[in-house]
Amino acid sequence: MMTEPLVVFDNVVKRFSDFEAVKRMNFEIREGEFLAFMGPSGCGKTTTLRMLAGLERPSEGDIRLAGKSLVDVKPHERDTPMVWQSLALFPFLNARENVEFGLKMRGIDKEKRRRKALDWLERLGIGEFAERDVNSLSGGQRQRVALARALVTEPRILLLDEPLSALDAHLVIRMQGVLTKLQRELGITFVYVTHSQSEAFAMADRVVIMSKGEIAQIGSAREIYRTPANRFVAEFVGRNNIISGKAVSRSEVVTAAGTLRLADELAPSSDVTFVVAADRFGISTTAPTTGNVIAAQLISEEFVGAMVTLFLEAAGGMELKVQIQERSLGEFSRDPGQPLFLTFDPAHAHVLKG
Amino acid sequence: MKDDLLLRWILRSYTALVFLFVFAPIVASLVFSFNSDRFPTIPLGSFTTGWYVKAFSNPEVWDAALRSLVVSSVTAILSTAIGFSAAYTDYRYNFTGKTAFVVLALLPPTIPLIIFALAMLGWLSMFNASGMTVSIIIAHTVLCAPFAMAVIRLRLNQMDPNLEPAAWNLGASEWVTMKSVVIPFTLPSIIASLCLTAAVSFDEFAVAWFVSGLNKTIPVVILEILTGNIDPQVNAIGTAVFLVSITLVVIAQMLVMGRAKKPETT
Amino acid sequence: MTSREATKSDHYAIAWRLPLIVWQGLFFVGPLLFMVAMSFFLVKNYRMEAASQFTNWSRLLSKDFFWDAYFFTLFLAILATIITSVVAFPASYFLAFKASDGARRWAIFFLIIPFFTSYLVRIFAWQVILAQQGVINAGLSFLGLGPWQMLNTQFGTIVGYLVLCLPLAVILQTFSLASIDKRLVEAAHNLGCGRLRTVFTVVVPLAKTGLVVAAVFCFILCFGDFVSPYYLGGSKPPTLSILIIDTSKSGQQWPRAAVVAITMIVTLLAVALAAIGFAYKKRST
Repeated sequence: MMTEPLVVFDNVVKRFSDFEAVKRMNFEIREGEFLAFMGPSGCGKTTTLRMLAGLERPSEGDIRLAGKSLVDVKPHERDTPMVWQSLALFPFLNARENVEFGLKMRGIDKEKRRRKALDWLERLGIGEFAERDVNSLSGGQRQRVALARALVTEPRILLLDEPLSALDAHLVIRMQGVLTKLQRELGITFVYVTHSQSEAFAMADRVVIMSKGEIAQIGSAREIYRTPANRFVAEFVGRNNIISGKAVSRSEVVTAAGTLRLADELAPSSDVTFVVAADRFGISTTAPTTGNVIAAQLISEEFVGAMVTLFLEAAGGMELKVQIQERSLGEFSRDPGQPLFLTFDPAHAHVLKG
Repeated sequence: MKDDLLLRWILRSYTALVFLFVFAPIVASLVFSFNSDRFPTIPLGSFTTGWYVKAFSNPEVWDAALRSLVVSSVTAILSTAIGFSAAYTDYRYNFTGKTAFVVLALLPPTIPLIIFALAMLGWLSMFNASGMTVSIIIAHTVLCAPFAMAVIRLRLNQMDPNLEPAAWNLGASEWVTMKSVVIPFTLPSIIASLCLTAAVSFDEFAVAWFVSGLNKTIPVVILEILTGNIDPQVNAIGTAVFLVSITLVVIAQMLVMGRAKKPETT
Repeated sequence: MTSREATKSDHYAIAWRLPLIVWQGLFFVGPLLFMVAMSFFLVKNYRMEAASQFTNWSRLLSKDFFWDAYFFTLFLAILATIITSVVAFPASYFLAFKASDGARRWAIFFLIIPFFTSYLVRIFAWQVILAQQGVINAGLSFLGLGPWQMLNTQFGTIVGYLVLCLPLAVILQTFSLASIDKRLVEAAHNLGCGRLRTVFTVVVPLAKTGLVVAAVFCFILCFGDFVSPYYLGGSKPPTLSILIIDTSKSGQQWPRAAVVAITMIVTLLAVALAAIGFAYKKRST
């Protein structure tokens, strides 16, 4: 018999009075994976996490953890510790006492829980702050206390609700490293909610993109980036060019910027929308004679270190962005209005369904 | 600019006058309580502690003082407990009738005391429950609970709404969370509320006068002395009463303000 | 966010809701409703009997002394409210705009103290200060003036009302003034609006709600107070609150006192509603 995945969402619906926050959700979380929920605010990602922790009760459907239904299990009877966006550290307890809280609730004796709490604080590199008032710690240190508090009971699954959103940019990168390393070492399941694409893509094995209470796509960062399931995902990911046109044959599309050839099988005379990732374009100042070519004019450019993003406009007002390594970019005038030619391999165009 | 300074100076002096008006009677009763004249005037008479000796050798005053102490302590505990439960309910829950609940919680101070006193007297008499020490406690608890609620609600405002869920999430049931998270968090406001409600109860005279019967509290004794004639004993008793209430109110304020100054960021 | 759906079987939620409902239901709503019923009771041989007669209402409302007391009380309370608001305003203005944050905090700290300390003793102190041979008249006689009769006059009552309300009025006014966006005041100055004119055309309208709330509280306190009109005003003529005491304490006529009390509550309700309507009325200009 096949063993069931660690967590199963089975036709889960969550309604708040007249608002449907989560619409019939079906998905699984595998043991030991790092799963991220991502989407704009109000998409239902936090509600999903809160249902897993028992803070919201599903209006319909079932949630199973290790084969057992969670629906009627009270939050304090579940072993689904969470790291909160606000951290929710207990301000009247010091760092060590905060970490001990979960152990105390499990009736573990004083000496043992003290030792375990100190071990965890040590492991997260803040052992020296164990007896400090949590309000006197820095953001990064408090973050680690919150992590230690959630992990000290050695759960099979850890929930994280936008835990890095309050940190400075450089600390976010550092904490990302801490989190991925921890997850690998412990081998436990992390369920991570975020609105930040860079956090989700940098850490997660699989990403769930949500929109208006529904799952838009589940897949690895690469899959979501290269082959977005629909227009919402393509736009949300942000580094895609979305081009629309009409199929004139099984492989050709007429767009505002000319006829382009795609690798996918097309239904003749249907409307076609496809995406080309910004980093899939070639660029030159002279018109190539073969392949897909789009003539465009430079609008502006933007440097981020070694990468440069060019913003262009093609015929029919079509806006395009191209991301390319600065050193592989040829010599040409960067003045607005400079004519350029973009090329792309038909295999790199991904046709959107619906 | 000269205009500005002048205006500021005038306003400051005016404000000082307002404070003088507010605190003059407190200072006056302190001064008069050590003044030998029966009808204090300027220039003052000689220094005496006679009024204190006279007041505190009166067994009726001691009896009333003891009763006031009992009434205000029990009232403080009861009204703080009720105020806490109301503040917590308001903080945590939304339910049909919530507005009515909050109005019920905050309405008592808007009813003139004399009216509430009459209503309470009629109601308690119907159950043969007026004229006892416990009658005063019952009525004072009604009057003090809103103050307790306000003070504790203010503190709950500073509590991260995720603090309780965080405790549940770590394995604490709702009752355990109440004991190990909510009460420790609100403790300063609970103590402040105990002090404040004790002070209110200690000074309340209208309702106590109506429902106490022969079981007088200190303010009721003062009221009855006043009804007679000008008697500087009142200054002596009053100064003692001021000391008690001011101490309680200052402790309460220190606790509330001390926390307000360094808001906890969790 | 934390409020999970409270089901009927949520003992925890119910447990926290009950104490207030039970206590205030039994000992606040109960007595007030009973008082309404009591106003229809009859007194025979100094004993109250349950009844549903309009006798108390018709007797009292047809008496001139009742209406004299009613309008006198209303007049005094309105006068005291206006005087308190006007006297408090410059001090509140200073605390809100000219004082430092620290000074303002300390001022509020001190102004809360009298609110929780014996009003009776403070009124007694004023009795001594205002008396014919009191401190003020002694001071006046040095200047060759007086003595002035201050005790047992309406002036005395108003002083008492000020003792009662002034601290609260300053606190509430200061809060409402301090919450005004200071840039609007600066903008008015910048546009050439004179200082005093700015106060009346910009500051007062912006703080209107808070100022009205402060005034309503003053009115409620003064309208129901019996200590000042009795001990400083000499009960000449009596106010409604003194009428309640006289009829209930000495005359044992609780039902008639209840009638007075209910007319007071109705009046307070009407004033409070009118004031709230005024405070939140959208400005037509």
